Amino acid sequence: MDSASVTAFFQTLVQGLLTGGLYALIGTGLSLIFGVMKVINFAHGDFLAIGMFITLALFKAFHIDPYLSLLVVAPAGFALGFVIQRFVLARLGDRLGEGSMLATLGLGLIVSNTLLLTFGAQPQSINVPYATSTFQFAGVQVSVSLLVAGLGTLVAIVGLNLLLYRTELGRAIRATAQNPLGAELQGVKTTQIQAIVFGLGVAFAAIAGVLLMPLLYTFPTVGENYTTKAFIVTVLGGLGNLPGAVAGGLVLGVIESLGAFYISNNYRDAYGLIAFLLVLLLRPEGLFGKTVKRV
Amino acid sequence: MRKVTLLTLALTPLLALPASAQSGTGTIKIGAITSVTGRFAEFGKMQLAGFKVGVAEVNRKGGIGGRKIELIIEDNASDVNKGLAAAERLVNAGVPLVLNEYSSSLVKAQAQYLARQKVPNLVITSSGDDITKPGSDYIFRLNQPATEYARVILNIFRDNKFKSMAIIAGTGAFEKSVADAAQDFAKLYNITIVEDQRYDKGLTDFRPVLNRIKAKNPDGILMVSYAEDSVALMRQAREVGVKPRLFAGGAAGFALPDFIKDSGSAGESVITATAWVPQLRYAGVQKLNVDLKTALGGQEPSYHAAQAYAGVIVAAEAIRKAGSTDREKVKAALNAINMTTAFGPVQFKDYDGFRNQNPLAMVAQQVQGGVFVPIYPKSVVPRPIKFER
Repeated sequence: MDSASVTAFFQTLVQGLLTGGLYALIGTGLSLIFGVMKVINFAHGDFLAIGMFITLALFKAFHIDPYLSLLVVAPAGFALGFVIQRFVLARLGDRLGEGSMLATLGLGLIVSNTLLLTFGAQPQSINVPYATSTFQFAGVQVSVSLLVAGLGTLVAIVGLNLLLYRTELGRAIRATAQNPLGAELQGVKTTQIQAIVFGLGVAFAAIAGVLLMPLLYTFPTVGENYTTKAFIVTVLGGLGNLPGAVAGGLVLGVIESLGAFYISNNYRDAYGLIAFLLVLLLRPEGLFGKTVKRV
Repeated sequence: MRKVTLLTLALTPLLALPASAQSGTGTIKIGAITSVTGRFAEFGKMQLAGFKVGVAEVNRKGGIGGRKIELIIEDNASDVNKGLAAAERLVNAGVPLVLNEYSSSLVKAQAQYLARQKVPNLVITSSGDDITKPGSDYIFRLNQPATEYARVILNIFRDNKFKSMAIIAGTGAFEKSVADAAQDFAKLYNITIVEDQRYDKGLTDFRPVLNRIKAKNPDGILMVSYAEDSVALMRQAREVGVKPRLFAGGAAGFALPDFIKDSGSAGESVITATAWVPQLRYAGVQKLNVDLKTALGGQEPSYHAAQAYAGVIVAAEAIRKAGSTDREKVKAALNAINMTTAFGPVQFKDYDGFRNQNPLAMVAQQVQGGVFVPIYPKSVVPRPIKFER
């Protein structure tokens, strides 16, 4: 390989890793919710869309920088998730999984159609001065917005780990994940914990939405794509396995980028889906870990 | 003359019959389908303005034989099935002819349905080649087919001695038509295509493709994308650092005023094919531009609005020539149309495999200093092209 193609390889790899970081952030939220409550959140991508649209609205109305709007979006996402778990999903009781599955599907429809009514169907984007800023690092062009997105993912995931393994709340969350009844008997308010977990999951999706906004455009049904990506990521890593979700996201990002670069862009989504199928066939428990570790 | 009009107007309520009443007196109702809602609503808005200006002009000049015209506008909600339902409602309403609008994927289905029902339809904006190729006796198109979008860009590449180019194109009907036509012109002009990458809807990360293209360093890049991707494509192209001599957009999103607004500096010096610009030198162009702008509440009109306007003018002329609202007579009149509108000359010809196609060339424009300026052909008094390198 000559030096130009080596540079091109590294550039594609770096971009794949950074895109993968965003997938990881989206997947982590989904995986966290599944790990604790065994609920597959079909509205995950739509919560991401909410994050995008709040950012868009704040930018259009008050010219607030997308990254500053994190201060609004993250708490709003958490509150939304908390309320949804507390007043919708928790009320479904201990029925089979179908109840919560249908409920999240319905919530997703409500969210995307509300966005449609409020913002219209046309794609919208925001134009910030740093949208195309880049810097060179060892010959590799790196996008500033994409790097910020990657760093944001890192901060969010490290923060989540500290929360889970260094705090009393984290211990309660892990206890609820392992055995809700046992945790309840030890004095953990599991309904409260579950609401907090759903809040965190939604906040993660919404944060990912904010980080995507300087890079891409949004439209009301944008969430569908990301729900699919989140599924692939969590299945690659193993459902409910958080480090697995991070690794799954990075793997997906790199597979897609390198596949599109070296083989053909026409089948870009196919590379991720092929990996997904292979994992389902050969390692249904996920790429990482022998058993499904929960949170 | 005035007396007749007044009398007609006075009698209209008395003589008005249910929907089928197209003969005799009263307003002449012409059908139109466009995307009032849904993802193509931005284009729909432009077309509604064009319709309004067109109808006002025809009626101001005395309508057709003293009868005013009116459009029955049906919304296809940017959806194929709703578009077919809209076409069916117009067939049942007994309109002599239907104006058929924007998205090639929708228009083709609507046009074929209308042709089967033997209703002449005049396509005004949609450019997929396969709408008039092979086409039908009942399908007429006044705007340029996709081939012309490719031709104007490739002509610029040829005139500036480009040796190589890359293509990035979506897989939709319009995108495919333009990209395939570009392949043919490139062969004809001896331009090497170093990359031809197609992508499915929903893709938002073009970096790997752009990296590939960057490594081959072509003279030109032609992007035929879905409307919403134009901004993302240009941002990522700047980010990746690919630098051809020219970036070219095959209309759609690249030709909209929003492209400049949303892409900012990333969109600077991108050239794009477009169907109409106010700098063209046909009679009435300036007035049309002002009227459209007024109808849009001050917004700059895009070519879609001018096409909708021309559609109304041509439809009215065809009905006038037919002397009747009979569909077969209107069809025959469309075949014989030869007129010039503020959008351009209109006549329907069979050539190069096209049927009932208006042979009209495209214009090219470039973003210079945050505004579109015309750069091609000579008839628009072009500004010099700015190259990336």
